[in-house]
Order: sequence, then C-alpha cells, then structure tokens
Amino acid sequence: MQGDLAKKQTMYKIKKRIRTPILTVIIFGIAILYFSPILYMFLTSFKTEFQAVSPKLFFKPTLATLSNVLSDKNMFGYLKNSIFQVFFTTFFCLLLAIPASFALAFGKFKKKHTNEKIYVWFITTILLPPVAVIIPLYTWFQRFNLIQSPFGLLIAYIGFHVPIVVWMLHSFFSDVPLSIIEAAQIDGCSRFRQMTSIAIPLIRTGILSAGLLVAVFVWNEFFLGFNLTGNTTATLPVYMARFREQQGMFVAQLSASSTIAVLPAVIFGWMTQKSLVKGLTLGAVKG
Amino acid sequence: MKKEKDWLFVLPAILIVAVMTQVPFVLTLIYSTLRWNLARPDLPIKFIGFNNYLHFLKIPNFPQLPEFYTILWQTITMTGSTLIICAVVGFLFSILLDHDIPGINIARVLILGPFFVMTTASGVIWKTTIFNTTFGWYGVIAKALGFTPIDLLSYRPMGVIVFLFSWQWTPFFVLIILAGLQGIPGDVIDSMKIDGANWFQSTFRIKLPMIFHHVMVALMLGLIFIVKEIGLILVTTAGGPGTRSYNLPYAVYMEIFNGSNVGRAGALAAMTVIITLLGVNLLYKMAKKRKEKY
Repeated sequence: MQGDLAKKQTMYKIKKRIRTPILTVIIFGIAILYFSPILYMFLTSFKTEFQAVSPKLFFKPTLATLSNVLSDKNMFGYLKNSIFQVFFTTFFCLLLAIPASFALAFGKFKKKHTNEKIYVWFITTILLPPVAVIIPLYTWFQRFNLIQSPFGLLIAYIGFHVPIVVWMLHSFFSDVPLSIIEAAQIDGCSRFRQMTSIAIPLIRTGILSAGLLVAVFVWNEFFLGFNLTGNTTATLPVYMARFREQQGMFVAQLSASSTIAVLPAVIFGWMTQKSLVKGLTLGAVKG
Repeated sequence: MKKEKDWLFVLPAILIVAVMTQVPFVLTLIYSTLRWNLARPDLPIKFIGFNNYLHFLKIPNFPQLPEFYTILWQTITMTGSTLIICAVVGFLFSILLDHDIPGINIARVLILGPFFVMTTASGVIWKTTIFNTTFGWYGVIAKALGFTPIDLLSYRPMGVIVFLFSWQWTPFFVLIILAGLQGIPGDVIDSMKIDGANWFQSTFRIKLPMIFHHVMVALMLGLIFIVKEIGLILVTTAGGPGTRSYNLPYAVYMEIFNGSNVGRAGALAAMTVIITLLGVNLLYKMAKKRKEKY
C-alpha cells in the first residue's frame, strides 16, 4: 500500500515535470496572441510613417512619430481635457460616494429598509443606457451653453459614475465590523468622526481601487464625451474616433496617438483588477 | 443621535445622480409621447400618445417586417453571441490561467489588457492595422496564402463586431471566473485528484458547477455594459452597410443626431431600456432558479 502511494506520487511528479513546460508554451502563446494587436500598436508607434505602411515586426525604431504626436497642439488639448475630466470626476465621485455608502452601510433611517432601497436604486441607475438620457442632456447642454465648458461634461460624468463607486464601496464598507462603529458611537464619536477616523482608514485600499476604476472608466468613456462636448472640450476617445475615416493612412500617427491614449488606462486597470473582482462580484451577489 | 443626520451623508450623491440620470430618463419617456422633430420647426410639438412607439412596432404588410424588428434581432444576436463566446472562451482561458506555471501573472496581465483599452482606439487599430485589405495583417497574410482578402467590415459586419466585442469583454469574464476558480477550496481539488477524476470530469463536472454563480454574474454585468456600447460600432462599421450592424442604442443615436426626431428617438430609447431590463431579469431568474436547486 505504502509503495503504491509512493509510486503514484513519483508518477505525478514526472507528469508534472513534462506538463509544466508544455502548458507554459501554450498559455504564453495564447496570451501573446491575444494581446498582439495592442503590442503591434505599441511597436508601430516607434515607426516612421513610411515604415508603417507595410506590416513588419522588425525595423529600426525611432521616437520621431511619438514626439511629433505629443507636441501636436491638437492632441495636447484633448489629452489635457481627458486629464481634467478624470481627475475631477474621480475626486468628486469619491467625495460624494464615500459618505453615501458609509451611511448606507451603517446609517439608521426612520423606515427599516431604507438603506437597502437606496442602495438598490443606485444599482438600477447603472442599468440605464446613456442613450436613454442623452436627448434631454443634449438639449440642456445646448441651452446653457455647457458644450463649450468642461464643467458640463464633468457634472454628467459625476452623475453617471457615483453609482459605480457606491456599488463598489458598499461591499468594502460592509466588511467593516459593526461592533467597531458601535463602540465608537458609545464613546461619543459623531457620525462624521466615525467615518473619517475609523471606517475610511480601514477600507483605504477599497477606496483607492474604486477611484482608479472610475478613473479608467472616465478616461475611456466615449458616448457622453462625444455628444456633450465641442471642439475645445472633447476628450481623447473622441479624438481617437476621428481616425475612423482614414483607410490605412497615417498608421504610425494613429498608433502613436492610441499608445498614449491606451497605456495609462491599461496600467491603472491592471492595478485595480483584484479589488475590481471583489467589488463587482460581492455587490452583484447582494444586489 | 438624531436619525435625520444620516440623510445628509446620502443626499448630495442622490441629488446629482437623480438630476443627471433619473430626470433625463423621465423626460425621455415624456418626449416619447410627443411629435417633436427638430428638423421640422413648422410642425408644433404635440402630444400623440403611443404613436411614436407604433411607428416602430406596426407591421403594415405582414410577412415583411419593418426595420425595427431587424435591428432588434441584430441587437439580440450581437449581444447574445458576444456573451456566449465570452463565457465559453473566458471559462477556458480561466482554466488555463489557473495553472501554477512560472510567469503566470504576466500571462494574466496580457490577457486582461484588452478590457482596459478604450473602444474607439481598439476599433480604429483593428480596422487599420489588421482588417485593412491592403495594409493590414489580414490582407497581407491572406495574399501570402493565395486568397483574395475581402473587406470584412462590409461583408461580415456583424461577425467583425461580435469578434471585437468578444475580444474586449472576454478578459472581464476571465477576471471574474478566475476569481471563482481560485476560490474553490483546496480540499475539493485534493479529493478530486485522489478519487482519480480525469481532466474532463474535474473541469466540467466539478469546477464548472462550483463557479456557475460567477459565470452568471459576469453574464449579467456583461449584458448591462455591452448593450450600452456604441463607440465601437461607430468607428468600425458605422452601423453599415445600410443598417446591417445597427444595435438599438446606435439606432437611437442615429434617430437623434441624424434624424433630429426627438419623439421617435425617445420611444426607441424607452424600448431599449425595457428590453435590457427584460434580459437582465431573465438572467437573474435563471441564476436564482439554479441556486434554489443546489
């Protein structure tokens, strides 16, 4: 019996030794192939326009195209608008959503299920497709001339992204033991102090990743940015959409611009992935 | 402790969300009952009840279905097949990425990448560097193999869009399903190995049922987000040729910004919301039914 088990174990070890390299090759083959369009875009941004005409993997790299694109006034304006929107949307979303989700997790309202009802209401607003609200928003923006002001889009972005932050933060706040909050209450801590000195420090990472996630969403958001902005207020996704008419022309310029547009989101996205799963799945289980 | 004070924490958030999402939605519903065409200022804005809805839903000569039904069907097939592909490929990828090999984190990062790429950028990149028949990889490889490359964007618009949607959203499914797989307790895996379950059995008979809930969550969230998406359609096929790759949100968009018909766009938008809610509800019921069984 003992010998049998030992035999089985060695067989298992041998099997594993053969399997690991094969699996490594397969997994990396698939992963690289899957990522290849982005990789190729990244490579092409180091080509000159002339080199980019034919799809080749080996060439003499140059920084000329990238620096050209970055020094282009047009591109710079879009980049600036995008950074403005991302920064302020994230800031205000957190400012509004942290107290809201804190109160939804620990607050007491007159009626019993109020917390749950408000939470569910926030979730249902996520379901709403932007096309269902764009008509009134567009007419308001025209009337109050918000199209030419970056604050118009900012307000719309805050309204659309607060529910996502509430959703994510709710699952993190729910992890904070109620007893800690109650103990603070008995010690005479005000609600505001309970939030700022006890709950927020405990879920720092959750707040950070919710913020990063909103930043990525806003950075990539196209539909509202496309319809609610003018020439001077449009963001990067709108700029990228302009390349749709250029059939195979200016490939290097296109690649360099998209590299700049894509890289920050991909890097920030990778940083948030772990908490993203937790926030989304837990929220969805309850909702 | 005054109870009303807790409202102050929630109220600002509720206010801005309501003003930016709920109020416009209610207004859209009101617009959908009006005859209101921005291109025809000579016609006064007038209440016409459900006429805008009937304009899309009415079937004048029976066997020939009006455009709305074609677009509805396109939306369902586009979203449905994307979700199915994402779930199947996402599950298989997750099984692969669940192995303990050197550098597995790099492989995970590579697979995850496309999810965080803005749709307009990925759309134009695929369109110009890959699908282009003369300069793209697809054209070059097809010619090298002796085929004549066809313009996929005009001959297979739905296929291209489903493919691109799946490319973008499979990572999201991997993200959630992989978390489910890694949450399976170690003793289940151990006893599976001791009992001598083969790969097929362990994957589909044991692991799949255990992470079914994660798949459902991914499907629901995927549905919500994919139905919204119109940037990708706009930059790749622009809905064309004709209306062959429209989905409902894209039809709403065209009705406002090309047709200038506020009333009809409102009706289409309202129906889009109803259909999305029906889809989400269906998935939710399926998930719940299964949960009761086990």
